[in-house]
Amino acid sequence: MLEFAQWVQFTGLFTYLRSSAFTYPIILSLHMCGIGMFGGMILLGDFRMLGISMRNRSISDLIDQLRVPKRWGALLMITCGILLAGSKAEEYYYNAFFRVKMILLLCVFVHGWIFRKSVYENTKALDAAPQVPAIAKVAAATSLLLWTGLVICGRGIGYIEPPLDKIHAEVRPMDVPRAVGAVER
Amino acid sequence: MLLLQAGAPPANPLNDAAWLFPALECWHILGFAVSIGTIAIVDFRILGYGMVRDTAQSLAKDFAPWTLFGIVSMLLSGALMFATDPDMYYLNHPFQGKMTCLTLALLFHYTLRRKAIAAGTATAAIGIISLLLWAGVLAGGIFIGFFAT
Repeated sequence: MLEFAQWVQFTGLFTYLRSSAFTYPIILSLHMCGIGMFGGMILLGDFRMLGISMRNRSISDLIDQLRVPKRWGALLMITCGILLAGSKAEEYYYNAFFRVKMILLLCVFVHGWIFRKSVYENTKALDAAPQVPAIAKVAAATSLLLWTGLVICGRGIGYIEPPLDKIHAEVRPMDVPRAVGAVER
Repeated sequence: MLLLQAGAPPANPLNDAAWLFPALECWHILGFAVSIGTIAIVDFRILGYGMVRDTAQSLAKDFAPWTLFGIVSMLLSGALMFATDPDMYYLNHPFQGKMTCLTLALLFHYTLRRKAIAAGTATAAIGIISLLLWAGVLAGGIFIGFFAT
């Protein structure tokens, strides 16, 4: 795995990304646009199934219509995520927050697979039930926990200092976490 | 007060704990996921994508409390982050760009865009301008850390 990470980060594309002044933050901005413009769709669907928001709207109204845009959002976030991670693959290999984030991401796919038949493709039955069935609430609560965890881990990645004695790629000054400076001041 | 007169800035308790700033960042991200997220669904609807079984008017009406909740969340967490190092932010060009986009985005959201949606006359330009302004806010936030002053 470590050899793979080292090989990936020294390929032409990822070497360019790592050393670019603008391309790297632009891709990070697109990754953030993915969260800003599509992450809310996940939250809304989960809040509705928990009965917190928009009870005047049916569950199928939100879940069915947001399915396709959510997939576009996932494609945007994952594509940008691969580009970001690949350019610092060796450093991230050692990063505990990155590792937990990848495990949570795997859990998101498992979550979708587990609840697909009973919840996400069964919205008409959820609408017909007098109360939101427990399984839909479990799916929504788990989804909220997983996505909150992903945001926390994603932000946490930048706060772990790279193990400079172990990594081979040059670390630019901008990679040093900002808040460490803020705390010292 | 004595300290202030002597010219030493008062210590900000937000800088005491290492985990507080990243916690504010996470709150900020979840806040804009809700606010920009609900705004984007309506913008996509105006452009003819996503929730096309509903009108932009009915979506905007139902999302309004959530949009406001998200905006208040991100403004509160943002103000607290600004307070940890005001000089740095004030002089930072990406931050200045971000605040310009934010002011324009909020003004646009609560004036032209809201009126056009309520009247049912929102054109594609409204959706595109709104999405671009919010993308500018998000990108500005990212660039702050890359062009530190």
